[in-house]
Amino acid sequence: MLKARHPLGIVFFPAFDWAITPTHPERQERLLYTQDQLREEGVFDIAGITELKPDLATAEDVARVHFCFPDVAAVTTASHLVSAGGAMRAARTVLDKEAQKAFALVRPPGHHAMKVVHGARGFCNINIEAVMLEWLRERYGPMRVAIVDTDCHHGDGTQDVYWHDPDTLFISLHQDGRTLYPGTGYPYEMGGPRALGATVNVPLPPGTSDEGFLFALREVVLPLIEDFKPDLVINSAGQDNHFSDPITEMAFSAQGYAKLTELLDADIAVLEGGYAIQGALPYVNLGLVLSMAGLDYSHVREPNFDPAAVRQSAKVTGYIEEVCREITALARNPKGPGKGDVINGWFTRRKTLYYDTDAITEYQTESVRLCDHCRGVLKFETESTRNPLCLGVEAPIGACEKCVEEAYRIYEAGQIKGEYRHLQLIDRVGKNYASFTG
Amino acid sequence: MLCGIDVGGTHTDAVLIGPEGVVACAKLRTDHDDLLASIREALASIASVAGPGAVSRLNLSTTLSTNAIVEGTADPVGAFVSGGPGIDPEAYRLGEHYFVLPGAIDHRGRETAGLDLAAARSALRACREAGVKVHAAVTKFSTRRPEQELALRQLLAPESDCVSLGHEFSGRLGFGRRIATAYFNSAVWRVYNRFCDAVEQSVRELGIAPDILSVLKADGGTMPLSVSRALPVQSILSGPAASVMGIIAVCDIAEDSVILDIGGTTTDIAVFAAGAPLIENEGIAIAGRPTLVRALRTRSIGVGGDSAISVSREAVRVGPRRLGPPMALGGPVPTLVDALNLQNVIAVGDPRLSFAGMAALGAPHGFEADEVAEAAIINAVNQIRSEVAAFVREINDRPVYTIFDLLEGRQVRPTRVYVMGGPALALSALLQDAFSEEVVVPESFAVANAIGAALARPTFSVELFADTAAGRLTIPSLGVARTVAGNFSPAAAEGEAATRLRDYLASIGADLGEAPIETVELSSFPMVEGQAQVGHNIRVACQVRPGVLAAYKQAVSQSC
Repeated sequence: MLKARHPLGIVFFPAFDWAITPTHPERQERLLYTQDQLREEGVFDIAGITELKPDLATAEDVARVHFCFPDVAAVTTASHLVSAGGAMRAARTVLDKEAQKAFALVRPPGHHAMKVVHGARGFCNINIEAVMLEWLRERYGPMRVAIVDTDCHHGDGTQDVYWHDPDTLFISLHQDGRTLYPGTGYPYEMGGPRALGATVNVPLPPGTSDEGFLFALREVVLPLIEDFKPDLVINSAGQDNHFSDPITEMAFSAQGYAKLTELLDADIAVLEGGYAIQGALPYVNLGLVLSMAGLDYSHVREPNFDPAAVRQSAKVTGYIEEVCREITALARNPKGPGKGDVINGWFTRRKTLYYDTDAITEYQTESVRLCDHCRGVLKFETESTRNPLCLGVEAPIGACEKCVEEAYRIYEAGQIKGEYRHLQLIDRVGKNYASFTG
Repeated sequence: MLCGIDVGGTHTDAVLIGPEGVVACAKLRTDHDDLLASIREALASIASVAGPGAVSRLNLSTTLSTNAIVEGTADPVGAFVSGGPGIDPEAYRLGEHYFVLPGAIDHRGRETAGLDLAAARSALRACREAGVKVHAAVTKFSTRRPEQELALRQLLAPESDCVSLGHEFSGRLGFGRRIATAYFNSAVWRVYNRFCDAVEQSVRELGIAPDILSVLKADGGTMPLSVSRALPVQSILSGPAASVMGIIAVCDIAEDSVILDIGGTTTDIAVFAAGAPLIENEGIAIAGRPTLVRALRTRSIGVGGDSAISVSREAVRVGPRRLGPPMALGGPVPTLVDALNLQNVIAVGDPRLSFAGMAALGAPHGFEADEVAEAAIINAVNQIRSEVAAFVREINDRPVYTIFDLLEGRQVRPTRVYVMGGPALALSALLQDAFSEEVVVPESFAVANAIGAALARPTFSVELFADTAAGRLTIPSLGVARTVAGNFSPAAAEGEAATRLRDYLASIGADLGEAPIETVELSSFPMVEGQAQVGHNIRVACQVRPGVLAAYKQAVSQSC
């Protein structure tokens, strides 16, 4: 009988009664075949592997991370709170040492959800990893965390949430943004002025196969994690790099995913995208589970897998080697802080964001106070095709007294001035999450 | 009248029940080396009271198959296994004649690699040379496509006394469970069938001619002896189920409740939701191997009347080990029964021996015999209470897969605790102190297990799987595999599952009035390829839930 070398908790929540639309990739059927495969393989009978029921994230868990306009209830459904709660349950299992590792096999995904939320982008409403991680930090205290996003799409939401956080190393491996949604994730995107180098992007060319992914992991990701010395490693485990995925152009395999999982050795994995629901997900998820549990995965492969047929070309190999060299050099000596202006001690950047899933356009001004004592109060002024001008203010974890005061001053002044429709405050120091509608 | 016999580890209990209640009962020591003798003796004792003609229905619960597996007297089995991609089938190896054959079926039931029949033939040769005469054939996802297993049966049947095919036991998934289920079925086939022959002969010799002769299953239901001959694994581990069914019969349980069966070595815990016993999600484990054999969901802890008491500086503990009978009955170490003896809650054997043992146990740590006894009883009660709490928590924490179930799912909240078994009455007052729920000790608990065996009714379950995109439908446990039209609906699927289940029950002679069919799962997933819907993936599970014959229930029930 099999026994997990690393005790593993699995939160399996397929949301069999939830879809964006009946034929949308995010539909009821998405994890059906994965469930069949895991059950047929007897994964939950393996000693040391435990199936867990998700927690339910609360509105406060969301409001700790996001500025949701007009409010949390308007941009989420129960499915999002369960999905985020599933990630929380996985994380709790690891932090409470009920298991060594945990995998939240949940949907819907979250890595395209940014700091400010007006609706759904890239099938995501709230960032389930961020909701999980900030809940962890509030419950268990400060920690240095590396998030490695292996979804085929750039994790632009997670990048945005952690842009100014030097204690969160965010590394995204993805298909080059010139060829795929959301069109971002270039090596020069390296984080805000107080967190420069804590964001790392590794764009890979279409056609990248196991070889290329594992090269990037070994050459870029693992050394950076080693330098960063995180307390916790999280894998945003998207599975749409698969050679059979219908909406991407990569050539990764179940074996490759399992190997990557073994090398990355993340404490917590959270499912993101992956839409080859019959040909890829059942095998990739099985590979991930076995790999995380420290079990033999050598027999896990897609029925139609022919490594030679999907192997990347020599040109792709050469390109990846060059990109990885550049990124390593940049990460060690980051130049920045990139696009933005310094005005009166604040660093400000303007963003125009499109929410493809809900067809919303947002115009946003993000400012961070360049403080010498902490990472600085954050301010978001945002309006969209759904909401008039709104304000979000955050005193981040470890904010100095001055910055906390400043956060409240801005929040209260905004209410008096009356130019904002909705105002929200995140005070991570005083654990106060307030909102006001003018 | 209905006769129930429960051959347990220690005792064989028999009972005869008529429309007016219990007519006769018997309690004998089980002869482990000759279970049949125990059954004959019990039957003879019943027949002597009521006459052989009185028995119209006979239900048996026996440990025979379990013993054969545990004691290694079962046959060697040739296991023919085909896995395809996934976990290495070697992980599920059982026995020395285990052959992994190339071949693969995927989750939708598509054959992705043909079965290597040449490899199967050479494996069969190896079996022949080793003198192996019973076989099991199991392929991954055979519940979705049984053809490869059926092909193996064709190959094996001419040289085999029994070929067990994985998909015939259940439509539920679990490759490793399916292997173990088919394997154990073939392993006990011969010994079980010999036993059936002998039982039938004994019944005839005693002049008993029941209309129905059935065996009890681990899920608390029955199946005709004749049917069980091909599926002996289903008769395994039915002992705990007999006790639980007994409680249902004796007490009119309508609410969420907990059943405690405090035996010699263990306390078995079962939970009822709205009066019906909970069934294991997957199946019971046999000899440490999970199977697909349906069973009542129970949990055991090593606290019983014969559990040894140990004393350390910090604590007095009961169990989990049993080192022999209580000292009062000549055992080597003080047990829970000795503690109860000392506290004058019961009077078993020689209480002086209980006292001496308890005193000797406490002396090195400066405890009086009385103190040890009291602490032991409290410890036993506390262990039971915390285990019950953990069990109920686990049931309520079971994974669910829809948002509706997560938000609205029913929670089990027991309001009563029924206690049965030897030390039940002795511990009831203490248990009442420990539990906030009402504690009840049914009166005729001594043979409740035999009553449960007598009044149990047939159970069966079917799982239907239809993939209208592929145009296939299977009901594995009934051997149904057919094509299906693209417009096949969930309602039609539910209807077909229920009808086929009803037809099957009728074919084995079950009284359909006594066997209400319920749908326990009905889901239908639109299947999409590209942007278009191409069909539906439909899953239905129907069952006849375990229960007792209503007509006789009133005769034996009492106010509990």
